[in-house]
Amino acid sequence: MAFALSTEEQTERSTSTTQVLEPELPWITLVWNDPVNLMSYVTWVFESYFGYPRHKAEKLMMDVHTKGKAVVSHGPRESMERDAEALQTYGLWATFEKDT
Amino acid sequence: MAQAFRRKGTRIIAYLDQIERETLSILLEQTRQILEPPAAPPGSDDAFTQMMEAMGMPDAEAPAPRVEPSAADRDPALGRLLPRAHRGDDEIAAEFRRLSETSLRQRKVGNLQVAIDALAPGPSDRVDLDARQAQAFVMALTDVRLLFAERIGLHTEQDVEDFEAAAGRAGDEDPIQQAYALYDFLTWLQETLTQSLMGR
Repeated sequence: MAFALSTEEQTERSTSTTQVLEPELPWITLVWNDPVNLMSYVTWVFESYFGYPRHKAEKLMMDVHTKGKAVVSHGPRESMERDAEALQTYGLWATFEKDT
Repeated sequence: MAQAFRRKGTRIIAYLDQIERETLSILLEQTRQILEPPAAPPGSDDAFTQMMEAMGMPDAEAPAPRVEPSAADRDPALGRLLPRAHRGDDEIAAEFRRLSETSLRQRKVGNLQVAIDALAPGPSDRVDLDARQAQAFVMALTDVRLLFAERIGLHTEQDVEDFEAAAGRAGDEDPIQQAYALYDFLTWLQETLTQSLMGR
């Protein structure tokens, strides 16, 4: 299984260099609503981890709060895994998936 | 009696009395113990064996499979502290966990330790943090509140409202009233620390 996965990563890396010919589907990082994390804290995390300006961080936080989830970043799979891991370090309920 | 976190120049300072600091330290320590990475089986993860394996030494010990507690043994609170990172694909979720769980646990444990150290008994009630300590402290408080909420079954916003209402009806000596007071204290402390970090 480890071999199969690393082959897949290789393929992704090589396609990313020829993006013009064959754009890869970007992946996304999601943050899900939970009843514990404070609105101010979630805003602060989006500001301090992503460097988003306050208005963008607050809008994303409100989306999490009112819609139950928000897409907080897009990009290649490895970057989304990194974002999900970082946001989980902050205690946010973060997941990643392929954008559909 | 506690005084909220406030920014003073480059420092972020609160005042917590001895009982408040002790209570907080106990909760931080309990959270730290749950997040401490499980001990590796002997002989498999040590640097020497890894080096031998990396060099392809034929007589290097075959790596023992890392002992992962089965899903049934895993503390349910870990489901929230280290949530499944992919909904819908078990293989991707398992791969992410295999690659990231140890470092996630180490970083959380590191943050909790910074907070525990900042509350170490001293002659004064002052909790005085630099920017880096304040960030670790606010993340540590998050994990304490997440664990607390899991333990008392706060899964939805309705659960939190019900908890508050039940505490409001209960008498001062009722455990639910005391649990709510503690949760409310943690929430208040985290709110004031977050506001200080945001420069408000």
